[in-house]
Amino acid sequence: MSAKQNSKKFKWALDFNVSKNADIPSPLGYNPSALVNQSEVVRDQRLVIKKSWDLALGPLKNIPMNLFIMYMSGNSISIFPIMMVGMMLIRPIKAIFTTQVTSKMAEGAQGTGQRIVYFLGNLANVALALYKCHSMGLLPTHASDWLAFVQPQTRLEYYGGGVSFV
Amino acid sequence: MQEKWLLTGLSVALLLLGTCSALYEDQIKKFDWRGVNVGALKQSRVDLNHFQPRILVSTHEGVVASLCVKTGELVWRQVLEQKPRGDIKLLQVSGFSDDSSDTAAAPMGSNLGFDMLTVQGHAPALVRGWNTNMGALEWEWSMMPLNTERAQEALWFYSRSVLYHVLPAWRSHLEVTAYFASSGHSTGSTSKLMASWISPESCSLSGTFYVCVDGKQLISLDLVSKSGQVIRTSLEAEPKGSLKAMAGLNGVVIVDGNLISVNKDQSVCPGLQASSYTVGSFNYRKILAYSDLAFGIVKINAVYLDNCEPVTEIEQSLPFPAHFGSPELSNFDCKQKRNGEGKSCLFLFSTSSESIVAVQQGRIRWSREEALANVIDSQFVDLPLADTEGTLESEMKGKAGDFTSFERDIVSAFLRRITTQAVQIRSLFLHVIGLGPPPTDTQRAGLVRDSFGLHKMLVLLTRAGKIFGIDNISGKHHWQLYLPNVSGFDNDEQMRLIVQRSAKHFPLQPLCTILGKDAVNGNGVLYRFNPITGKAAEGGLIQLDYKIKQLSLLGETEKDFVKGILLLDSSNKVHVYPQHATPLADGMYLYTADVRTAELAGYFVKYAGGKLSSTHVWNARLGGHNSEQQIIGVSGKNPIEHVHSQGRVLGDRSVLYKYINPNLVAFVTQAPDATHKSVLNLYLVDVVSGSVVFTITHRKVRAPLALSIQKTGLPTPISMRKCDAQRLVTTIELYEGKTQANNSVWSSLQAPPMPLVERQSYILPTIVETLRETITERGITNKHVLIGTASGSIVEMPWHLLDPRRPIASTTQGREEGAIPYIPELPLPTESHINYNQTVARLRNIYTAPSGLESTCLVVATGLDLFVTRVAPSKTFDLLKEDFDYILISIVLVALTSGSLIVKHLASRKLLKQAWK
Repeated sequence: MSAKQNSKKFKWALDFNVSKNADIPSPLGYNPSALVNQSEVVRDQRLVIKKSWDLALGPLKNIPMNLFIMYMSGNSISIFPIMMVGMMLIRPIKAIFTTQVTSKMAEGAQGTGQRIVYFLGNLANVALALYKCHSMGLLPTHASDWLAFVQPQTRLEYYGGGVSFV
Repeated sequence: MQEKWLLTGLSVALLLLGTCSALYEDQIKKFDWRGVNVGALKQSRVDLNHFQPRILVSTHEGVVASLCVKTGELVWRQVLEQKPRGDIKLLQVSGFSDDSSDTAAAPMGSNLGFDMLTVQGHAPALVRGWNTNMGALEWEWSMMPLNTERAQEALWFYSRSVLYHVLPAWRSHLEVTAYFASSGHSTGSTSKLMASWISPESCSLSGTFYVCVDGKQLISLDLVSKSGQVIRTSLEAEPKGSLKAMAGLNGVVIVDGNLISVNKDQSVCPGLQASSYTVGSFNYRKILAYSDLAFGIVKINAVYLDNCEPVTEIEQSLPFPAHFGSPELSNFDCKQKRNGEGKSCLFLFSTSSESIVAVQQGRIRWSREEALANVIDSQFVDLPLADTEGTLESEMKGKAGDFTSFERDIVSAFLRRITTQAVQIRSLFLHVIGLGPPPTDTQRAGLVRDSFGLHKMLVLLTRAGKIFGIDNISGKHHWQLYLPNVSGFDNDEQMRLIVQRSAKHFPLQPLCTILGKDAVNGNGVLYRFNPITGKAAEGGLIQLDYKIKQLSLLGETEKDFVKGILLLDSSNKVHVYPQHATPLADGMYLYTADVRTAELAGYFVKYAGGKLSSTHVWNARLGGHNSEQQIIGVSGKNPIEHVHSQGRVLGDRSVLYKYINPNLVAFVTQAPDATHKSVLNLYLVDVVSGSVVFTITHRKVRAPLALSIQKTGLPTPISMRKCDAQRLVTTIELYEGKTQANNSVWSSLQAPPMPLVERQSYILPTIVETLRETITERGITNKHVLIGTASGSIVEMPWHLLDPRRPIASTTQGREEGAIPYIPELPLPTESHINYNQTVARLRNIYTAPSGLESTCLVVATGLDLFVTRVAPSKTFDLLKEDFDYILISIVLVALTSGSLIVKHLASRKLLKQAWK
């Protein structure tokens, strides 16, 4: 608005803001149709797929590392092994629940396969953590773990007596 | 190897550290109290004119003691050896016998005289001289008779510094030996006095005279006189009772309440008739005091011995409470400086209920309840609820069975709740302004249930037939009851104390029953009473018209929540008391054990068509091939015990299920053996089916034995091995195996498989008198075994030290199970003596009862003394510590809360300021 006022006040002023002629020809050698390179697009697509496969295979690649950690932490029940096992158990479960979000980042032709692989990889991690729990004795898989809930037997016969009084 | 031992030692040390549950110094006598007794009075000597007035007593329990004249408290007490060695035959206080035979106090520095002399036992007979001021033993000599069996009937008397030992040979002669009392030197050879007229039941020794009844005459002999002349005194009628010697008068006997003198030099006043007599001095003259009980009033009279005139100053009568029974005047003394008035005389009575009663100035000055030296049964009874809590309780109980009127029920429950609270508010208001209803007797006495159920009424039944209601926290005697003419059963079986109804059924009062035998005709006697007030209830004493052979407790009736008593009489008929509980007896099993022949018999009780009948179903003979074995111990499981865990976790995390047979009873038999001296057998018998589940034999082992069996299948016999004087503890655990045959019901008739048996023996460095396991409400708390030792201490032994699964070799499996490696010797650390220095003399039995708290178990130890305490085997995990700092905690809490509120406010202000920047 002020510019308009200016243009009215100062007749001789040049307005540089007003766009120049749009029909100016393109510079030499400029081919607007060459802007999109088909082969480049193909290569990007491949990159995305590769990247999303990386993501999908991530949990599986973790397994050797987890195995090593498991081996190192031992079977004793103390705070650090418990924390590790807890992390090992909770992380893949969380990841499974957020599969949708993760897979949105890498939508592609092989989306379903990747999802399945990702899911399976996480499951494998969960299984590994459970195995660790088992070897640490944290799973109630023995009869002794349920002993506290065993009801006492009801007796059918009652007796009385003792040394004869006569 | 060394490392292994080190590890073992460390683990044991750690375990012991974990189990130590000693008291702190400021907790002494906080949870426990001890009653100190001396036992029923035998002989006494009241001495008010000594520079230190005292009462010297000897008792039937083998105790000599000195009592305080004013309060009856013990000045000192000496507990002698166990019977028969400690049986006191004679108590002679210097200057007591008669004036002429006074030895006088011993010259200073010599050990010839004596203050007090006792003769105890018969083989050997021990003569001891005591310092009566502090109860110290000054000298002692012993005498071993040639014929130890005959020596049991020996009598002793003292005359003129000489102690005479009289050994009767019935229907033949008397052997009299004289010894210098304080040195034990014989004054000459034994003299044999021919006396063919002596017989065990009709004779008595009065001073120096040996007196026997023969039809309508008394035949007597002065054992000291040289002549040896037999004196015959004729009586008016043949005596009904036995002869009693009159202490203090030489040659005087009491025949049916009359005094008769056989001594020419000792005259007695004619025409006296009383139940008990005693001699003492008053105004420097010898007097004869006598007392009688008539219609609850005791009359004390006295006559001068020289002229038979009555001593009017001494005459008095006083009401005598019925719970003391009938009194017998034991001794008396009068202060000499207040001449002329009889007010300063103290009369000491021993009563048929084993009390010691001191009477002065026509009233009871003090009394001692010595029946408590022989407690035979005990029960902890819950106290009644306070009134307001009672109404709440009845609301909680509201009948919930009717579902059709459920909504109406809610409304009525709500209304009841509102009215209850209104009533509570009103009673609180009335209480505050002081207009409330007067508290009942029990409430006034502080007998109201506490929130943890630690405060209970301790009901003690004693051998004398006296029953006590004692506060288990303060030790106060709230009530006493005396049952005359009721005695224990044959075969050394004592009277039984049974709780028929607990205090849980408000507003119904709790009910206890005593089962005994009529002392006269031997028939059964039931006495029912309220254990809180000590008053007879529901008919009181009931005389049965049959002899009781055995009994059993039935379940609760629905009508009045009384547990019926099933009685088996001598002709094997069954009866139920009360009558309306009869249907509950259907399907019961009963067993009886004959101690001498070691025969067991099982009976099945059936109720059909309104009639109760019993069938003999099984028999078992434990007597061995030549029937020599006799039963010396029987122990069943505690019926109120709960088993919390049904199995045991092994190292590989599998379960070994316990063999929880509720019908298992342990029998121990003993017999002499040619090669092993003595053989002891333990049988575990299922008394429903009569099958012997397990047998174990110990050789070279003999009684005394303490036996304890727990519901978890853990009997723990303790036996004393004679050959090397070791005390053996054998523990046995029974397991069903890795699987349970039937996990819902237990039936002994379905023949469960034979159990696996784990056993182990340990050595204790002390003599065990009794064993008892702790018991708690739900059975979650660890089990400890309370070991009562002969020295009078009670040791708390954790079960894992007695565990039969303690591995001999230190294996990983054992370690994972938590079992410590086997070491035969069991430690007795001083921290685990729960009665610290409060020794319980002659400890005989320990009783345990659960409290309202799962962690705590109430304990009463009985013997000559009484010790009441509580133990917490797994420590008081459900209770705040004694020294819990409530103030600090609340201050910290308040400070933190207010601090966080202030900080919250400050923080929000700061945030607001930052946002404006």
